[in-house]
Amino acid sequence: MSHFLKRRALPGLPRLFSAAVLALAFAQATPALGQEKMEVRHAQGTTSVPHNPQRVVVFDLASLDTLDALGIEVDGVPGGVLPDDLSEYAADGIPKVGTVFEPDYEAVNALEPDLIIVGGRSAAKYQDLSRIAPTIDLTIDTADYLADVAKNVELLGGIFDKEKEAESRLAALRQSVEGLRAATSKIGNGLLVLTTGTKMSAYGPGSRFGILHGTFGVTPAIKDLQVSQHGQSISSEFILQTNPDWLFVIDRDAAIGRGGAAKTVLDNELVTQAKAWKEDQVVYLDPVNWYLVGGGLRSVQNMVDQLAQAFKKG
Amino acid sequence: MPKLLLAALGVALLAVLSLFVGATDLSPAALFSSGPESEAMRVMLASRIPRTAAVLLSGMAMGVSGMIMQMLVRNRFVEPGTAGTVESASLGILVVTLLAPGIDLFVKMLVAALFALSGTALFLAILRRIPLRSVLMVPLVGLMLSGIFESVTTFFAYRYDLLQSLNAWIVGDFSGVLRGRYELLWFALALTGAAYLAADRFTVAGMGRDFTTGLGLNYRRVVSFGLIIVSMVTAAVVVTVGTIPFLGLIVPNLVSMTVGDNVRRAVPWVAVVGAGFVLVCDLIGRTVRYPYEIPVGTVVGVVGSALFLYLLLRKDSSLG
Repeated sequence: MSHFLKRRALPGLPRLFSAAVLALAFAQATPALGQEKMEVRHAQGTTSVPHNPQRVVVFDLASLDTLDALGIEVDGVPGGVLPDDLSEYAADGIPKVGTVFEPDYEAVNALEPDLIIVGGRSAAKYQDLSRIAPTIDLTIDTADYLADVAKNVELLGGIFDKEKEAESRLAALRQSVEGLRAATSKIGNGLLVLTTGTKMSAYGPGSRFGILHGTFGVTPAIKDLQVSQHGQSISSEFILQTNPDWLFVIDRDAAIGRGGAAKTVLDNELVTQAKAWKEDQVVYLDPVNWYLVGGGLRSVQNMVDQLAQAFKKG
Repeated sequence: MPKLLLAALGVALLAVLSLFVGATDLSPAALFSSGPESEAMRVMLASRIPRTAAVLLSGMAMGVSGMIMQMLVRNRFVEPGTAGTVESASLGILVVTLLAPGIDLFVKMLVAALFALSGTALFLAILRRIPLRSVLMVPLVGLMLSGIFESVTTFFAYRYDLLQSLNAWIVGDFSGVLRGRYELLWFALALTGAAYLAADRFTVAGMGRDFTTGLGLNYRRVVSFGLIIVSMVTAAVVVTVGTIPFLGLIVPNLVSMTVGDNVRRAVPWVAVVGAGFVLVCDLIGRTVRYPYEIPVGTVVGVVGSALFLYLLLRKDSSLG
């Protein structure tokens, strides 16, 4: 498969190469313009990126979310389910460049991008995409979630000359997180569960949804939950036994636009006996923000706002 | 017969043990000292008994299905998972999910059964048309057919972003079993019972078309009946708990090695051994990472492939 795709991407390479030679010659001839390039450090190394790139292809939905929040135009996005905030990118006028898992290299190449942004689900395609254009990987390190989100926002603000906008939005976000932390310190503990069909898995601190505990300050109901990409498979009995004060639910089926039935899965004679259910402290987290988009500027703000709202009534 | 009783007793003991293994603390003492409205009793009735029942039922049903199938195609290395039955049932579930996601579980099962039936019938139709010079041809044809169904399913699941959901159904897993969510399996048990009543006919059909017709039986009807049972049982199990690999292959083979090929005599053994095998695998899955779980499909896959290799490599292997 990858061999085939590489071959498809090849026709663009000679052109790219000559463009690079030209750019190099140009940069040498006019040193003043040499500063138009900037070195960007990211999850998979350092890439030389043009300042204020004209054509941008984004595979990482979190970055797309941030760019959109900062009012930066994007020229190619992945197809598939997009959150409401980004629904304008689903329009036919915006070129689709494959999916978050599987880039359509031909479509990417045809756009002749100046910059490609990957992250999370698309990070594995970094090598192949970087043969087409300068590519940066903005995957978020879950160990220090908010700091990494901020780093990415500042980085994108820097590339696109939106530093001020980025700073003020970040300041607002940090302030809301502070407010949320004040609330979470008083609410008891919480357990985060993801449902797919009738199956459930639990996620704890340090996992892909660890922001709930690490950044937002919810005390984990289980301290030693081992981290793995798809969580730990659990049964309804596990929820009853753990008996968290708050239950946070991400409905994966709803996130990918397939109905979703977390409520019917949980509404059984065991889970309804748990404290969180009895005291009406089950929060159905916005699955699109949590599952699909992750650490974008606006999606994190939305996560904070939803939780703050949920705790207010409690 | 006493041996069979002994085996059944062993499985029953394991089943009792299984009632007291789970994420919630539940000791026999707590159960008996408390009233009928207690939490211990609720967990027992809502979770432990249904789960243990589901494990036993699907183990029995899949084992017997595998044996019927092996009789009908006269080949030891065939089971619903290597003849396209499981894969076409999954395709059916995918089709229902795409077209009518909110539909009743029973309707879902019927559609899956219909797909399973067509897939298995296709398998038999292909077998009838090709010359079978080697015993390996039959499972190979089955595996290829399964591969085709699987790739169609995967393709559409991929196109509609359902790969992970598909995976969630297909990997056999009892963690979602609760009172009210597994009862279809009793239906599978009823079908298995029907298979037992027709056992002699399957034995005869296993001798071939001419032999069967010579004895005055309608070969076609016996085969169709067997097919319907296998497809319905597979659909019920796939819809409720997902697929349990190898089971229909290993259990009938182990049994036939010890008690022979008379279906009427073998069915109870296959049922008991099948139930016991799945129960042991589910117990492993529940305890290895306690209080989290490993899906039974994964455990059976590991244990099953070891047993399968043993079957292939043992000295007097019929594959020599």
